[in-house]
Amino acid sequence: MKLNRVKTGISGLDEMLGGGFLAETANLVEGAPGTGKTTLGMQFIYNGIVKHQEPGLIITFEQFPEQFYQTASTFGWDFVDLERRGLLKIVMTSPEVSRVDLKRVDGIIEQVIQNLGVKRVMIDSISHFSRLTQDPIQSRELKFAFLNAFKRYGITTVLTSEGQALLGEAHGNDTVGFIVDSYLILRYVEIESTICKALLVLKMRGSHHAKDIRQYDITAQGIQIQSKFAGQSGILSGYPHQMTDSFVKAFVKP
Amino acid sequence: MVSTNDDFTARLMDEMDPELLQFIKTKVTSFIKWDLIKFFHQNPHTTDTVENIAKYTGRDEQAVQIELESLAQNGLMLKTTVGQTTVYTITSNIQLRESIKQFVTACEDRHFRVKVAYHILQGLDKPSTTSQHQTSVEKAT
Repeated sequence: MKLNRVKTGISGLDEMLGGGFLAETANLVEGAPGTGKTTLGMQFIYNGIVKHQEPGLIITFEQFPEQFYQTASTFGWDFVDLERRGLLKIVMTSPEVSRVDLKRVDGIIEQVIQNLGVKRVMIDSISHFSRLTQDPIQSRELKFAFLNAFKRYGITTVLTSEGQALLGEAHGNDTVGFIVDSYLILRYVEIESTICKALLVLKMRGSHHAKDIRQYDITAQGIQIQSKFAGQSGILSGYPHQMTDSFVKAFVKP
Repeated sequence: MVSTNDDFTARLMDEMDPELLQFIKTKVTSFIKWDLIKFFHQNPHTTDTVENIAKYTGRDEQAVQIELESLAQNGLMLKTTVGQTTVYTITSNIQLRESIKQFVTACEDRHFRVKVAYHILQGLDKPSTTSQHQTSVEKAT
């Protein structure tokens, strides 16, 4: 059976995802500040509109829509014009309002989805749901119901999540990774006194995907995936080392 | 007849588009309203509670509640309920949206902003407006 793919249009990422996200799924992008989570999400929405004629919706819980317009314009993406043409809408609201609204028939978000024929949604960021409850079980249920509401409309969703650690493994207790269909991790990596960025597709339900960790850059055109970190190991620790060093340490006696 | 400095200031301040002047005198009657109008114009698809809108604009929640209520009565904001929660969004009335756009665009000019501040202060000085404002504050508290 051929799987229906939703291409991100991001150079190198679709190949890592086995052709793109699976349609009607929730996809998490987790990373530290400045790693490009929001850029990746915006690029997914923009490419959906201009390359695949799929209208988009961005739901923001903290960053003002006008900041989205400005940031997008630095990449040459005219979000103001896309909104004017009825292909995009950037809605600012809060988890408490949107979660109740999505449960209603003919709610505010549902009206936007139907009026625009939205196919792609970006939620920035799901981390703000943590202010609704401190109970991890209740938090998981709230997020699960919220994400399923978008699946109800046949929408493919990208949601960002704020990682706390700048370098190395994050030690959060967020359970959202369990309820999403795919999980992308963005990390800073220090190599020879230079900070690089690394991307890993940690999980992708029902699909094959690249298992290697790739370097990526945020260019004037958005995110571009580069080659994998050849000859390095321990990338996600934030402090990788040459594999030959590891080999010598492990197998060669002093 | 000898004109005073106050007359001169008033004349200077009245030198603006009559429609904009009317909009300021009837809708933008406080500095918080000014902030809210600008915020919702720049972020037009915002739908949220008083508490969150106060956070977005960095203003006091009680003051924002009073001004949002007033803007809703004036037709600039739309007040609805989502479940048990009251939320506000900007009006979808095309004519009013155009007036808002003209006002915010005009505010890019410093001299215009000075005039707006003058009219707001003039309005606040009027006893009826002040007492009305105080009454609103008392009601909210």
